[in-house]
Amino acid sequence: MSFKRMATIMGGTFGLVAAAPLFVGDIRFIMHILIMCLIWAVVASCWDLIMGFAGIFSFGQVAFFAIGAYSSAIFSVNLGVPAVLAMLLAGLFTALIGVLVGLPCLKLAGPYVALVTFGVHMTLMPLLRGKIGMALGSGGSVGILTIPPIRIFGYSFSSANLVPTFYFALLLAMACTAVILVVIKSHWGTAFLALKDSEDFAMSLGVSAFKYKLMVFALTSFLTGVIGAFYGHYIGMISTRMLELDLFCTLMVMVVVGGIGMFPGTILGAFITVIANELLAPLGTYRAMVMGALVVILVLLLPNGVMGFWLKPAEAEAPAA
Amino acid sequence: MLKVIDIDAFYGQFHVLKKVSIQIKSGEVVVILGPNGHGKSTLLKSICGLAERVEGRIEHNGQNINGLPAEKIVNRGIIYIAENRELFPQMTVLENLKLGAYSKNARPHEKQNLERVFTLFPRLKERRGQMAATMSGGEARMLAVARGLMSNADLLCIDEPSLGLQPSLRIEVFNIIKEINRQGKTVLLVEQNIPRITDLADRVYVIEEGRISFEGDSGEALNNEALKEIFLGM
Amino acid sequence: MHFMHISEDTILLLYEIVDVIISGLTNGSVYALMAVGLTLIYGVTKAFNFAYGSFFNLGGYCAWILIGIVGLAGGYFSIFLAVVPVLFVVGYLLEKVLVAPLRKYEDWENKVMMMTLGLALFMDNLYVVVFGGRVKSLPPILEGTLEIGQLVFTYLDITIFFLSIGGILLFGWLLNNTRIGMAVKAVAQNPEGARIVGIPKERIFAATFAISTVMVGFGGILLSQKYFISPMSGGAIMVKSWVITAFGGMGSIRGGLYAAFIIGMMEAFVGWGFGMSYGMIALFILLLTTLVVRPQGLMGKS
Repeated sequence: MSFKRMATIMGGTFGLVAAAPLFVGDIRFIMHILIMCLIWAVVASCWDLIMGFAGIFSFGQVAFFAIGAYSSAIFSVNLGVPAVLAMLLAGLFTALIGVLVGLPCLKLAGPYVALVTFGVHMTLMPLLRGKIGMALGSGGSVGILTIPPIRIFGYSFSSANLVPTFYFALLLAMACTAVILVVIKSHWGTAFLALKDSEDFAMSLGVSAFKYKLMVFALTSFLTGVIGAFYGHYIGMISTRMLELDLFCTLMVMVVVGGIGMFPGTILGAFITVIANELLAPLGTYRAMVMGALVVILVLLLPNGVMGFWLKPAEAEAPAA
Repeated sequence: MLKVIDIDAFYGQFHVLKKVSIQIKSGEVVVILGPNGHGKSTLLKSICGLAERVEGRIEHNGQNINGLPAEKIVNRGIIYIAENRELFPQMTVLENLKLGAYSKNARPHEKQNLERVFTLFPRLKERRGQMAATMSGGEARMLAVARGLMSNADLLCIDEPSLGLQPSLRIEVFNIIKEINRQGKTVLLVEQNIPRITDLADRVYVIEEGRISFEGDSGEALNNEALKEIFLGM
Repeated sequence: MHFMHISEDTILLLYEIVDVIISGLTNGSVYALMAVGLTLIYGVTKAFNFAYGSFFNLGGYCAWILIGIVGLAGGYFSIFLAVVPVLFVVGYLLEKVLVAPLRKYEDWENKVMMMTLGLALFMDNLYVVVFGGRVKSLPPILEGTLEIGQLVFTYLDITIFFLSIGGILLFGWLLNNTRIGMAVKAVAQNPEGARIVGIPKERIFAATFAISTVMVGFGGILLSQKYFISPMSGGAIMVKSWVITAFGGMGSIRGGLYAAFIIGMMEAFVGWGFGMSYGMIALFILLLTTLVVRPQGLMGKS
């Protein structure tokens, strides 16, 4: 897909969303959902950049999101760091963790990367709930309940004033996805395409797969960490519940609905999925089950996600015989 | 026995075979000659159901077999013997041979075929406990042919059996193929060139750039000046 | 007197350690069964099954239904007889219906991972819906204890150990001595060669998936007698099996066996010294260390 087409789809989506407060600005519930859509659009797009474009089987996206949320919360609650600065620090900290995780595994075959990153996810819950987490200020199984909102020049962006917070989230989401767009269409994106085509050939041209993979891992961890931090400051409380498998799968639904490697499809995927998830809320205990079934069905029936409807036949992924 | 009628074969974006037709009668040795990369192997793989995409008709005893999965074709008595051997490296010679008799068509005859193969290749009998991965090039080639015989097929499609072998071994391989033919098997053989072709082949096809450029019996091939230089190794 | 007191403590400590070792051996044997199943799917089909842990619980719940609701006579013998075919059929159909159609895509490995993770979420929550969120327990296959001097072994631990080892041996025998077992090995060693000799690859893939489902489900029936069946525990079981498989070397059955016992022991000692919740963390540290020092695992080929 061309840069222009990607930018048009992104601009159109964000433009439409930006106008939403004119109509539904008073309905708190809808504004909250829109903010969540924006947050998840960033996380899902990061995942798509890693998995769809860089070809890394990373399953650590939710873990990085949680690391960002927890570290920012701990910085601001325990150390008194202003929220905006804490978000930035949290992003850097998450990027550091991303690099530490990427170093041992990014040279290895796909399933190892999947295992290690999913292992990070599975380890995080006992770590945060246990003594080590308590010592760091994770609040154990209760979580952190008193995260201060973001304040800029004495003006606070919290759930108390949703419309300004919404625009803050919108700007943040636009900035993050713009970075992703630029990366995909830059030298990096080309390198990834070459690596996907033939790793040996790309390496003979001097493209170091490991270097690029590590850089993209660091970048997406940073973005995910920042947006996770924003989530924490916006909601005001976090717990290890966010590490349960259903959120993970919801995020996966977003990527599958948007189409793997079909950025900016993930932005649409996030909106569709978050809204659908709210509509499924009456299902109660059945909701997670339905989510799981949806992943299975969508992977099987919608190989290119919603973007498949936009693609010209030549661009659609040809099944390898 | 086998009729290939106007087939087109594709490998990815490449159109490898263009309207190729050949015929093989029961009991014959048919040789397909041609330069590397001009579609000889693809023709064999098309017949055996191993090619990526094939259009056209391939008739075996009057029935179209194009599009059947590979195992169905093996069951009908057609076997492919690969140029790069495709053995099971971490298994013994005997295990490789037994897997050669995997198809339903071969199972009842496993014992007698094994005996026959061991008579034909006494060296394999000596080394039946050896891992396939540790065999020399010539022995591995023998094992590939022997494994093909275990399938109890009537039609053997042998892909460049002499590739990379020293001259004395090449002659040995061709002698064995002749012997197999004498025992009643039909052979479709692909080679880049064959010395003393009249000893071995009944008929010859030449494939160049995906098309049949010559067809005739081996005597005619021998007398064709253009062919002589290029393919017959003289 | 003072001296006597210390030595009594030491003896108690020794008994405790023996207990820990027994627990490590018992768990290790079941892990070995699970790891062999997982390494088999990866070695043969190259697919990465994230729903593996959910099949562990499938075995447990099937047994629970048969004991608690159906009231099947004949004890565990008839339960194994009934559940094993069910697991096989479930595994076979899941591969045919859900995994096989994805193979035609270029990024099929990725799609299989996502699909099986979705399947895991579906199955785990199906268990919650059907059986409730609370844990279920299975009666032990054999009651009572074996006392050798001061040492006490439960018959349950002993039976679990020998049944797991027996399962692995049976599997190894089938792999080397049956036509289908040989075909499975052939596909793992050379898929194209297997196709040439007329082995129907698709059917072997499905059979492999089914066999691994049986192995992990069987492990579930065994280990659930010692602990509990808990609907959401699949993820932890899956990660554990994968770490063992990666630690032992993906695709290496022997490596998987050693790794399973090492990790079973490690987990038992970490649980004893620091508490159960640290098992997962220790596991993860071990995995990272292995990948840095020896990326191909204990026995894997580089």
